[in-house]
Amino acid sequence: MLFNSLSFIVFFVVVLVFYYSNLLKWNSKKGLLLLASYIFYGMWNPPLVILLWISTMIDWTAGKRLAVEENKRKRRMWLYLSMAVNLGFLGFFKYGDFLLENFTLMMNSVGVEYQARPMDIILPMGISFYTFQTMSYTIDMYNKKIERARTFLDFALYVTFFPQLVAGPIVRAKDLITQFYEPKKATVKQFIWGLFLLTLGLFQKVVLADTLLSNTADTVFKPRQILNFWDAWSGTLAFSGQIFFDFAGYSTCAIGIALMLGIILPDNFRYPYASLGFSDLWDRWHISLSSWLRDYLYIPLGGNRHGITRMYAALMITMLLGGLWHGAAWTFMVWGGLHGTYLILEKLQKQYLPFKITPWNGMFLAFVTFTCVNFTWVFFRAREFDTAWNMIQSMLFLNPEGTKILESFDIIKVMILIGIMFVSHWFMRNTSVKKVAINTSPWILGIAWTIMFFLIVIAQGSGEQFIYFQF
Amino acid sequence: MKLKQSLLIAIILSIVAIVAWEVYWRSEGLYPTLSDEKALWAKERAKVEKATKNDVVIIGSSRSYFDIQKKVWEQETGTKPIQLASTGSSPLPALHDIVENTNFNGTVIVGVTPGLFFSTTYPKAFPWHRMQSKIDYYRDMTYAQKANYFLSVPLQENLVLMSADEEEWADDIDLKSLLRQVNLGIRTEGIKAPPFYNFGDVSSDRAMTMAKRTVTDTAFANSIIRVWNFFGKTAPPPDKNSTTEYFLKDAERFIERGGNLILVRCPSSGGGRMGENMFLPRERFWDSLVGILPVKNYHFEDYVQFKNLTCPEESHLSKDDAEYFTKELAQIMIQDQAITKLKTN
Repeated sequence: MLFNSLSFIVFFVVVLVFYYSNLLKWNSKKGLLLLASYIFYGMWNPPLVILLWISTMIDWTAGKRLAVEENKRKRRMWLYLSMAVNLGFLGFFKYGDFLLENFTLMMNSVGVEYQARPMDIILPMGISFYTFQTMSYTIDMYNKKIERARTFLDFALYVTFFPQLVAGPIVRAKDLITQFYEPKKATVKQFIWGLFLLTLGLFQKVVLADTLLSNTADTVFKPRQILNFWDAWSGTLAFSGQIFFDFAGYSTCAIGIALMLGIILPDNFRYPYASLGFSDLWDRWHISLSSWLRDYLYIPLGGNRHGITRMYAALMITMLLGGLWHGAAWTFMVWGGLHGTYLILEKLQKQYLPFKITPWNGMFLAFVTFTCVNFTWVFFRAREFDTAWNMIQSMLFLNPEGTKILESFDIIKVMILIGIMFVSHWFMRNTSVKKVAINTSPWILGIAWTIMFFLIVIAQGSGEQFIYFQF
Repeated sequence: MKLKQSLLIAIILSIVAIVAWEVYWRSEGLYPTLSDEKALWAKERAKVEKATKNDVVIIGSSRSYFDIQKKVWEQETGTKPIQLASTGSSPLPALHDIVENTNFNGTVIVGVTPGLFFSTTYPKAFPWHRMQSKIDYYRDMTYAQKANYFLSVPLQENLVLMSADEEEWADDIDLKSLLRQVNLGIRTEGIKAPPFYNFGDVSSDRAMTMAKRTVTDTAFANSIIRVWNFFGKTAPPPDKNSTTEYFLKDAERFIERGGNLILVRCPSSGGGRMGENMFLPRERFWDSLVGILPVKNYHFEDYVQFKNLTCPEESHLSKDDAEYFTKELAQIMIQDQAITKLKTN
C-alpha cells in the first residue's frame, strides 16, 4: 500500500478509529497495529508476508537464545543463523538474477559456453529495509547492547510497524521496541503535527517529485541519447531533486503517521544538499542507513582503529556495499565507489590542506559538494554505463552537438525548483521544520498547509511508487 | 506553536480553494468523467475468466470501442458484450492473451483498423505496448490497486477536478497537465504533435461514446483530425506479413477450441478514409486477411445501411450513429448466423 493512495487514507482512518477507541487495551492495540501492518504489506503481494514472518521468527528465536546463552560458540551460531537467513533472503530475492547474469558473463569470458535462464525473481517490497532492521536487533543482542524484546508481539511489531516497514527509517530496537512497552497515545499537538508532516511528505512526493521533476528525469535518462549540456544537467538536477523529495517525502510521511499514533521515529534526512563535504552529507542523507552501515559494517571492518590504509579500505568497502544495497547493478557499485572516493579525498584534504569553514566559503563548499553529488546520481539513475557516460560527457561540455530534448519551460522549471531547494537546505541546515514552525504565525503556517494540500489535490498523482521501495 | 489554529485555517481555506477550483472548471464547461484507465480495462478483462460459450468479447482499437455500443448490442442480441478494445492499440496482444491465458471459447469480435491491426509485432512499439501494458496490469494488479480503483470511481464520477487521465489529454486539469500547457519557447527539433483533446466519455462498464462536443463543434473535431493526420504522417510503414502471421496462429488456436471469431471493419470517412485507401488499401490488407482466414467478416463498405455514415472526426461514429451501426451490425450478424440471438422479445 502506498501513502499516496486512496486506499491508504481509508486504511489509516480505520486504524486510527480502532486505535483511539476505548474498546481495546494496549496489548490489543499493539495486536491491531501488527495486523494492520500485515494488511498494509499484504495488499501488495500477500504470499510475501511469509518472508516477514520467517524473518521475525528467526530473529525472535535468535534474540531469545542470545539473551540467555553464554557459550561463545553457540552465541556466534545464533548470530550467523540470523544473518544467513536475512542475507540469504536478500541474496536470493534481490541479487539472484544479478549473480546469475554475472556468473554467465564470467563463464563466457573464459570460453565456457553457458547460458542460464533468468530466474525472474520478484523483489519483495522493502526487503532491504526490514532485513537490516531485524539484523540490527540480533547483532545488538549478540553484542549485549540491548535487552531482548519483552514479548513476541513487541518484537513482531518492531519488525513490521507499517509506517516505516517498506522504506525506513531503519529504526534500532532500542529506539522503537521500548516505545511499545507502555501505552502510547499522541497528544493533540503531536497528532496535528503528525498530520502536518504527513501533508508535507505527500507534498514532497506527489507534487515536487512526481509532478514537477520525474518527467524531466525520465526523459533525459532514456538510453542511447547524446544530449546537450543544458538537457543533461537539467535531467540530472531533476533526478537529484526527485530522489530527495521522493525519499525524504516517504520518511516525513512515516514520521508523521507514527507520531499520530504516539510513536516517535528518528529523522532520516537533515537538509543533505547543503552539506559541507561528504562526511557531513552522510550525516544528513538517509541517516538511518548510513548509521547502520557505520555501526554494523564500517566499525566491525576496523573503522579508524587500525591505521589509515585499513580505514580507507573499510570506508571504500562500506560505500561499495552501501551502493549494492540500493540495487543489484554495477552502476550502483560505481555510485558507492564514487562516494567512497569522495570521502577518502575529503579525509586527505582535512589532513593535508585544512581550512576553516566560514559563512562565506561555506555556501560555496556546499555548492561544490552538491555538484559532486550530482555526478554520482548519474550512475545511480542510469541503468547502463553507456547512458551514464554519455550524460557525464554532456555535463562536462564534451558533447557540444548534443540533442536538445527538453523545452525551455522544463529547463527553467527544474533550475528554479532545484535552486529553491538548494537555498532552502542552506538556510535550514542548522534548524528543523518544527523550529521554524514554532516561530511562524499560525496564519502563515495555515496558509502554507493549505497550499500544500491544495496542490496535492490538484496534482492527484497516479499513485507512483516511491523510488526506494525497489531497494 | 498554535497548531489547532493553523489546522483550522488550513481546513477552511482548503475547502474554499477546492470548491472554487471545482466550480471554476465546471463554469468552463467541463463535467465529471471516468478515466479510461488500465484498471477499468482490467475490471472488464476479469469478466472473461467466467465468460461462457454464449458471451461476446470485443477486441480491437478505438473504432470497435466507440462504434459498438454495449447497451444496443445487448438489446439486439440478449448478450452484454465484454468490451476489451483499446484506443490506439493493436488487437493482436489481446487475442493472444485470451487464447493463451483463458479457456474462453465464445465469440470474439475483432475490430480491424488497418493502421493499427497491421502495424507491428514489435513489443516496444506504441500500438503493441499500449495493449500489452493493459494485459500486464491485469495480470499484476495488486489488492491495493484494486482498492484504489474502487475508491476512485465515485470521486471521478462526481468531481471535475479528478480529471487526471493516463492518456494525458491536452484538456486535463491536473497540475501536471496544466504545466504541460506552459510554453516559454521551443528548443527541440522535430515535428510537434498537435494537442490531443479527450473526445469520448466512458462508463464504468467500459461503454465508450463520442463526446457531444466532437459532433457539435467543428473546430474541436478538426483538432482531432489534425492528430490523426500527425499519426498518419509519423507512423512507420505497416508490417503486414508478421502481423497477419501472428494473428493467424492465435485465431486458428481459438477456432480449434471451438471459439467463434468475427472480423469487423468499422467505418471511417473523409480524409481519413482517403488516407487509408492510399496507404492501406482494402484489397491488400482487409481482403487479403479475410481471404486467408475462413471466418465471418463484415466490412462497412459492403452494406448499404452503412454507406452514409460519416465520422465527425473522420475515424469514429457519433453516439447516435454508433447506436445505429451497432443495431444494424448485430442484425446482420444474426441473419448471417454469425451470432445467436439469446433473447427473442
